[in-house]
Amino acid sequence: MIYIGAEVIVSPLGDNAEDNWQAISANRSGIALVPSAGFNGEDIHLARIAALNGSLRFQQLVVKALSTLVAKIDASIVSSDRTMVLISSTKGALDDNINDQFSETNVAVQQQLGLAHLPMVISNACISGVLALNAAGNMIKNGQFEHVIVVGCDLASDFVLYGFQSLFAVSDKPCAPFDAARNGITLGEGSGAVLVSGTKSVFKDPPLELLTGTSANDANHISGPSRTGEGLVRSVLKTLRYNDVSGDEIDFISAHGTGTIFNDEMESIAFDSMNLSHIPLNSLKGYYGHTLGAAGVIETTVSMQMIRNGMLLESLGYLNNGVSRPLNIITKNTRASLKTVLKTASGFGGGNASLLIRKI
Amino acid sequence: MSVITAYCRLTEDVCAVNGEVKLRRNVALEDSWFKQIYRHFDFSYPKFYKMDKLSQAGFLASELLRKINPGIMGYGDDEIALLFANRSSSAETDQRFKDSYTSNSAPSPSTFVYTLPNIVIGEIAIRNKWYGENMFAVLPKFAPDFYKNYAQILTSSDSKAVLCGWLEVTAGNTDVFLFTVEEKEGGTEFSEENLFRLLETAATH
Repeated sequence: MIYIGAEVIVSPLGDNAEDNWQAISANRSGIALVPSAGFNGEDIHLARIAALNGSLRFQQLVVKALSTLVAKIDASIVSSDRTMVLISSTKGALDDNINDQFSETNVAVQQQLGLAHLPMVISNACISGVLALNAAGNMIKNGQFEHVIVVGCDLASDFVLYGFQSLFAVSDKPCAPFDAARNGITLGEGSGAVLVSGTKSVFKDPPLELLTGTSANDANHISGPSRTGEGLVRSVLKTLRYNDVSGDEIDFISAHGTGTIFNDEMESIAFDSMNLSHIPLNSLKGYYGHTLGAAGVIETTVSMQMIRNGMLLESLGYLNNGVSRPLNIITKNTRASLKTVLKTASGFGGGNASLLIRKI
Repeated sequence: MSVITAYCRLTEDVCAVNGEVKLRRNVALEDSWFKQIYRHFDFSYPKFYKMDKLSQAGFLASELLRKINPGIMGYGDDEIALLFANRSSSAETDQRFKDSYTSNSAPSPSTFVYTLPNIVIGEIAIRNKWYGENMFAVLPKFAPDFYKNYAQILTSSDSKAVLCGWLEVTAGNTDVFLFTVEEKEGGTEFSEENLFRLLETAATH
């Protein structure tokens, strides 16, 4: 069995998973209006971490998440040559060094944590986090490592904000995934971390099970989702088949739900075509914004917290159905016993990825 | 057995397939080096001209591999995995995008969409209608064990072939090495040693 646990989130809502849960279970959002943040000096909604200042913000955030994680596991495994660290990120420390966005962080993380191996960076746009979690599980199954720490991290930099502004993809209010009035993303920043391991005893709190999933490309467009959800459907169906899990067993879907017209519509078509549209579903972008390479890890850790706390979390920002195939979107926090959770992600480059988390 | 069935190398001035030089850069021409290759082989894919250099490199090398190894088109549309890596992510395009908004003009959307290293995977997937597994890693240097280990993971599930790529394309450096890995009897064994050897010799024959 592949275990997943010791989850950590560093976000505008707190520096650990417990503080984050306090905030989001009270339906508090990390999104705020930031004056003059836009390219033309417009006020923009962003989920930025106010306390994260100065240079090397990316490195600070990665190290903070990892140090918090180490306190939740048997610390002696950290320096083992059977332990690997995967960093999932799109733009890394671009603000510090545009020509080499990861080396300095990798070296610093290796030194500060005393790792046997240099961390490896997985950079696949918005599916990076889910892909890294799957890679972690696969590396353990394959016998390459016994423990893999996955840390997803990205910053809400001007670079990315101006880029999404140039695509007219930034929401003029806090993003509203799947809602009729949605009109784009809200950028967020943060870091999520988990330990994936083949050994249960290295976790201080009981872990959950990771059923590693798959990725699939849309083969359709580099910066727009497929209209049919082809890649998402292929990824989810393969993930279910590999793990011998049927659609009826899924208790909750943690969707990608960016809040753009086309992404959310694509997801509704994909889930409908797989007969999964009745399953309770949310997007966490209304709490954290879109944290890009960190999103898959942050949203998986929140799903784990939902399982642990027995609660379906409201999909913040959703009021009225805005997709052509209605989904069972969670409109208020609801007590529920959750056993099996599906996490999906889709992104630029046509990538789609999915995984399952199961209560043991 | 996993074997390397074909390989393509692009450097600053040489384009080689399976160790044989196919074209050398003509510095007298106005065309960029990648356009010279595109024209020389009579490729016809207008979207090439919209791509950034990283995607152009991946497109050219994957097309050349298709030519020499047409067998890879015989797999199911989700049976070919794309396993890519480089050192500098999309730094060259990132700098161009940053220049677009720091030089008194507006951020360029057509440049922004290429500011992710995995876009080249998307371009190759679109071109070939490949719906398989994707992975892009940023590594300090070419690492044969990365390809060996992860290709093994991919082929132990649904993937029957893996198109692997090292794509380092920066302002002053072109270091591209694409190769196909398939399950076959006989041929160049997919080993770390052979990968190093092919990388070193691929452009010098």
